[in-house]
Amino acid sequence: MDEGQLMKKMRCEGRGTRDKGREIATTSCPSRSIIRYLSMAALPLRLRVSAVVPFYMVLLFSLSWAGDTSQPVPIEKLRSDVQSLQGQAAQLDEENKGLRNMLRDMGDDELYLVVDTESNRLEMRQGKTIVLTAKVGTGSRQFVKEDRGRSWYFESPMGSLTVLGRERNPVWIRPDWSYVEENMPIPPRNDPDRFVPDVLGKFAILLGNGYKIHGTKWKNLLGTHFTHGCVSLGDDDLEIVYKSVKNGTKVYIY
Amino acid sequence: MERRVQGDNTKKIIWLIIWFSVFLMGADGGDLNGEERGKLLKQQKQLSTRIETLKREQEFLVFQRTMYASDSKYIIINSSAKTGRLKYKNRVLKDFHIKLVSGRASRLTRGALTLTQKIEGAKGSKLLVFNKSLVLQGKNAPSAKIEAGMPRFSLSKKDFRSVYYAIEPGAKVYIIF
Repeated sequence: MDEGQLMKKMRCEGRGTRDKGREIATTSCPSRSIIRYLSMAALPLRLRVSAVVPFYMVLLFSLSWAGDTSQPVPIEKLRSDVQSLQGQAAQLDEENKGLRNMLRDMGDDELYLVVDTESNRLEMRQGKTIVLTAKVGTGSRQFVKEDRGRSWYFESPMGSLTVLGRERNPVWIRPDWSYVEENMPIPPRNDPDRFVPDVLGKFAILLGNGYKIHGTKWKNLLGTHFTHGCVSLGDDDLEIVYKSVKNGTKVYIY
Repeated sequence: MERRVQGDNTKKIIWLIIWFSVFLMGADGGDLNGEERGKLLKQQKQLSTRIETLKREQEFLVFQRTMYASDSKYIIINSSAKTGRLKYKNRVLKDFHIKLVSGRASRLTRGALTLTQKIEGAKGSKLLVFNKSLVLQGKNAPSAKIEAGMPRFSLSKKDFRSVYYAIEPGAKVYIIF
C-alpha cells in the first residue's frame, strides 16, 4: 500500500481532514458515499435545503401510505371470516351432537358377561362398570381321538353368544368323548349311566350347542384351561352371575 | 464554516423526517378499527382452534359409529393417560395399562391405525405392529428388529396375551391423546 492509498483509508475511517475526506470518500469509501449521495451533496447548498426536505417528505409519506395498503386483511373480510368460522363451528357442533346421540342410542346400559380365555377371567359388566370379576376354567385346548376316527378338540366357543336359558341343579349328560377319554365303552344314547347329577354345581347358564357356564368340583383348577369347552365358575360367583343374567344377556368370549 | 453549519442542519432535518415517518407508520395500527380488529383476530384464532377440536372429535365419533356396526374387535389407546381398551361394538372387553418402552410417543398421530402384522418370534416373543406407526408387546419381551423410532408400548404379559389372541390383522386401533 503506497502513501496515497494509506491516506485514503485513514480519511475514510474518519482520521483524515474533512474537506479532503469528502473528496476521497465519494470515490472510495462506500458508507460515506451513500450518505453524500442521499443528502445530494453534489447540489448547491441552497438548492439542497429546499430540494432535499420536500423530496424526503414526499418519499417517506408515500412509504407510510404504502404501509397502509399492505394491511393483512381488510376489517370487512375479517368480519366475514369470523362469521363463516362461527357457522362452521356451529355446524360441526350440531353434527357431533347428533353423532353422540346416535352412539348413545346404539349403546345400552345392559348387563353383559366377558370371558377372557387367555387369562381365564370372567367379568360381569354393566355399562362402564365392572360388577364382578371371577376366575374361571375354560377349554383345555386338547384333542381326544377315538379308535374309530372321531376326534374332539376342547376349546371354549369364541365370539358373541347369548344366554339361551338357565337351569337349577343341572344334570350332566355324559357325551361320547367322556367315555373315550376314560377308555370306557360308549353306552347307548339314553343309558341311565349318562345322566350324572351334582357335577355341574347348583346352577347352569345355557349358551347353546351344549356349552354352559356352570359350577365345578375342581375348584383348585379355576384360573386354568381344564374344561371340555364350558366355562366353569366357583359356587359363590356362579350364584351371583346366575341371579344377574336373564335370557338374552350377551356373553362375549375371546 | 457557515456551509458546514447549514449542512449539519440539513442532516438534522433528514433525521427528523425519518423519525416522523417512522412515528406515522407506527401510528398506522391505531386506527378506529384497531380494537375491533384485535378482537376479531382473537376470535378467529379461538374459532379455528375450536373447529380443529370439533373435527378431531367428529373423526373419533365416526370411527366409533363404524366400529359399532362392525363385527371386529378394536382397541382405543389413550397415549397421555397410558391406558388401552379392547372393545367389541359398544362393549368393553378389557381395560389395560400401557407403558412406552422405546421410540418417541411424539411420533404417534391421533387417529386410526390398522393391525398389519402379528409377529411371533422364535423365543415366544410376540408383537403387534400397526401401520409402521405403533408396536404393542408384552412386558420384557425381547426386542425384535422394527423400524427405529417407532413408538413401542408394553402391556402386562397376561393382558398382552389376551389382546394378541383377541385381534386379527386388519383390526383397528384408534389413538387419542
